[in-house]
Amino acid sequence: MKRRTLLASLAAAPGVLPGTARAQAPVRTLRVVTPWEIGGLDPARSGYVFQRMQIAETLVGTDAAGALVPLLARAWRLDADRLAWRFALRAGATFHDGTPVTAEAVAAALVRARAQPGPLAQAPVEAITAEAGEVVVRTRQPFLSLPAFLAHSGAIVLAPASYGEGGAVRAIIGSGPYRLTDLLAPQRLDAERFAGWWGPAPAIERVSYLAVGRGETRAAMAEGGQAEIVTTLAPETVDRLRRNARVEVVTVPIPRTRALKLNANLPFFADVRVRRAVALALDRDGMARALLRSPEGAANQFFPPALPDWYIADLPPPRRDLAAAQRLLDEAGWRAGPDGIRARDGRAFRVTLRTFTDRPELPVLATAIQGQLREAGIDLQVAIVNSGEIPAGHTDGTLEMALYARNLALVPDPLGTVLQDFGAQGGEWGAMGWSSPELLAAAARMGEEADPAARRALAQRIARILHDEMPVIPVAWYDYPVAFSRRTAGGSVDPLEISYRIAGMRWAD
Amino acid sequence: MGGLIRALGARLLQAALVAMAVGIACFLMVRLLPGDMAYRVAAGRYGMDHVNTAAAEAVRAELGLDRPWWQLLSAWLGDLARFDLGVSLVSGDRVVEELSVYLGHTLLLSVVALLLSALVGPPLGVLLAMRPGSAADRTGMAVGAVLRAVPAFVIGLVLMMVFAVQLGWLPAAGVGGWREVVLPATTLAIGLAAVSSRVARDAMVAVAHSPYLAFARTKGLPEGAVIRRHALRNAAVPVTAYLGVQLVTLVEGVVIVETLFAWPGIGHALVHAVVARDVPMVQGTALAMGLIFVALNAAVDLTCLAIDPRRRPPS
Amino acid sequence: MRRVGMRGTRVIGLALLGAVLGFGLVVPLLTGDPMRQDLSATLLPPGAPGHLLGTDHLGRSMLARLAHATRLSLGLAAATALCAAVPGLLLGLLAAWRRGWVERVLVGLADGVMALPGLLLVLIFAAFAPGDFLPLYLGLSLAFWVEYFRLTRSVAGSVFARPQAEAARLLGLGPWHLLRHHLLPELGPMLLTLLGFSAAAAVTALSALAFVGIGLRPPTPEWGSMMTELLPYYEEAPWHVLMPGLLLAASVLGLQLAAGGRGT
Repeated sequence: MKRRTLLASLAAAPGVLPGTARAQAPVRTLRVVTPWEIGGLDPARSGYVFQRMQIAETLVGTDAAGALVPLLARAWRLDADRLAWRFALRAGATFHDGTPVTAEAVAAALVRARAQPGPLAQAPVEAITAEAGEVVVRTRQPFLSLPAFLAHSGAIVLAPASYGEGGAVRAIIGSGPYRLTDLLAPQRLDAERFAGWWGPAPAIERVSYLAVGRGETRAAMAEGGQAEIVTTLAPETVDRLRRNARVEVVTVPIPRTRALKLNANLPFFADVRVRRAVALALDRDGMARALLRSPEGAANQFFPPALPDWYIADLPPPRRDLAAAQRLLDEAGWRAGPDGIRARDGRAFRVTLRTFTDRPELPVLATAIQGQLREAGIDLQVAIVNSGEIPAGHTDGTLEMALYARNLALVPDPLGTVLQDFGAQGGEWGAMGWSSPELLAAAARMGEEADPAARRALAQRIARILHDEMPVIPVAWYDYPVAFSRRTAGGSVDPLEISYRIAGMRWAD
Repeated sequence: MGGLIRALGARLLQAALVAMAVGIACFLMVRLLPGDMAYRVAAGRYGMDHVNTAAAEAVRAELGLDRPWWQLLSAWLGDLARFDLGVSLVSGDRVVEELSVYLGHTLLLSVVALLLSALVGPPLGVLLAMRPGSAADRTGMAVGAVLRAVPAFVIGLVLMMVFAVQLGWLPAAGVGGWREVVLPATTLAIGLAAVSSRVARDAMVAVAHSPYLAFARTKGLPEGAVIRRHALRNAAVPVTAYLGVQLVTLVEGVVIVETLFAWPGIGHALVHAVVARDVPMVQGTALAMGLIFVALNAAVDLTCLAIDPRRRPPS
Repeated sequence: MRRVGMRGTRVIGLALLGAVLGFGLVVPLLTGDPMRQDLSATLLPPGAPGHLLGTDHLGRSMLARLAHATRLSLGLAAATALCAAVPGLLLGLLAAWRRGWVERVLVGLADGVMALPGLLLVLIFAAFAPGDFLPLYLGLSLAFWVEYFRLTRSVAGSVFARPQAEAARLLGLGPWHLLRHHLLPELGPMLLTLLGFSAAAAVTALSALAFVGIGLRPPTPEWGSMMTELLPYYEEAPWHVLMPGLLLAASVLGLQLAAGGRGT
């Protein structure tokens, strides 16, 4: 890591004085600004940065509709016994250090990835080997979603020279259209076009990535022309940016949901009537409009419209019904006391809601929910903690309620997330103290089912169970607003947040 | 020479005290913080999408978090003595490496802020002292009082709103070139200059009434020489001494201003570390800031010794 | 001439402080619930019907929240200042009376605490339990007591060394006599000044910490956290961000002017 001295900083100042004539035209850099810092070199921790910047690639990619497409793998097929997936590699792919992308290199990278925390570690993989130029992944039971798991950022393929002793990653030598030239973790990286990439040569020569935590600052950078792509715009800044002629704002709904996780082991939430009452007491429409500035984001169910197979189309939009909520709470035995807080058998309805600041809107939503539930007689204490305290609280049973944001397409197939979150023991980021044998059976069958229509029916069944029982209460779906500078063209937003698609962009002038 | 050794010796002792205090406090923090450290680390490393029990257990084994407390304490203090500040629980990088990056930025910001305030504050104070009691003097004092009362983050906020957002002249945050430094450094400099101009003014006014100045005038020296040779040097003493107090304001201000302007310095890192309960980073940054503070104080002591011969012990 | 100036600024300071105090004590009795949200009426500007100072991003009345925040901040600041003053005072008296190794130990302790800037101390304390009020309070008191200790020790030291003190001691009059008749007249005004400055510093520190996110939990209204929460909306509602800042500046200025006029 470099240490910038005063002189070095001044010397490196871009555009020091406006209108200064330059001896030669500098190479333009496409600057990407996001909130997410680069947490080191390990793909399990920061692979998503290298994947999105197209520095490193996975075997399998996704297209605009979320379907799987070949990337480093040319094609893949399932063996007759349905226990082995074979991935044929693309010819002519090379790493940035010139070595070819061989099956051995890929297998080594994937074996290492499986040993780290991530979705691949959760998949029932038995062994990953290289056989006759193909990568073979053997599973313990038929697992049809496996290719989707190989699209995840933890499974990026790095050259053998990237790994040092003990498997630690020493350098990022990927196979993508851009080659890493400078890494100043955790804030920024620079990359330039790699001539040996297997795809069509990208028009943009140089790219850089900068992590800027404050939403306001990112918006200011978009307005001021200090960046060409600015992602995850803060909701309050989107309107302002839309009015700015320099910038084009593209908002794409993504398969992420903000939800309330309830501990159904507690006497409060064991009763489904109470859970439904909590859902009715929420003003989801108000929160989506006023706080998230996204009226269509008010969630009436767990899966957003961005996942058409899982989304139940005929449910009514969410509406607050405080009277119905109060009726349900009364029915469940929770009577309002003199201070307005409900109680039953001497125990007051007092719950601690844990949330975190990794997503900046969560604390504000938590405060709004606190006010709304107070009107229904539930006393909520908001605790803003480190996001790790939610799985910790799930495991040791101390978690009462949590507000979190869940990525439903960690791997492009939501079944992976469903299995993790609504398993027999619940899930650290899903149900707690609740499970449904019917849901588990449907999920298991889905893992083995190839027919799309049958899969859709099973998905709808699972979604319907979650909607009726509400072990987690959906609050709002996510929008992903990205600002593109009008100096660029060809930009698009990947709803699965896998790639910034810079290789397909060009300068507009 | 004796005074020099004594001053430096006192500061060295202070530095050692700072290191011990910070080290022990941070160790206590590790033991007393509620919640499970392993989960916290895992959340920082893998992000909220991937943190779960398996990840936490892996972290626990890797960092040896379940050793008995006395082993951990001796390991902790031993590391501190060897300047091994450990590894950040969040990023996994060595604290010393991260600090060296942040240190550069903080020093840049502090130096620019001090320079700006030194260029504006004392000269302004001296100018106002030329005509004590005038309308300019009284307005200056009033403005100074208001600026001293407004906290640094409010000043910074107003500057950001006006110059970065409304007028768009300067970038709102980040590091890059000289333009990014202007707003945070100005914010700090305003608070510092408000104090130093007041001190300079009062010092000059006191000096202006002093007998030796009157004597210098009766000697027939021109006014310019009077000021340069006698007044300024005498007035410089309280101003420089006040610099010590100002350093407190500077260090505290740096923490707040860096966070406001997303300036990746040590103050920003300290706040992040406290929020994430990344104890090695808290220790490292608190230590760094404390030691910088002691070092700057030592520099002020030396300057005072150099300027004011009365402070030196009789040789 | 300077005395007249100082008295004048003192009056201005007291008036300012009184205004802010009045706002904090009286207005909460007149306005509604500072926690009551109305998501259909968010970010209303000052002067909107029914809301004299507008509403914040959750539809809560700015007037009510500002008033409660005033009460909270000034109350906490006064408590912190007193909490720092009492031990500082007692220890300073002890050091000046006993002298010898007791004094040396206490002076060393004070110097040790002074080695770190106050905000750093408070941050370290806050790291133990972010969001809780007690560590902030303890940290601030710890950072401030040293000033009281030093002041008391030096004034008491010089008073006890005087011939009148010696004479009183020989006459058999106990320490209480000395305190009441010799020490208090000199120490009293200086203590008041220091109390004012400590309170001002406490107000600033509390708000600064809330601003960076190490303050009190939601939905407690506090000037610094209000500014942080409203900062994203500065474009649609610039006044909302500035209002808590103005109150903060006014109260700090009032405390500083009332305490000493010089304000350095």
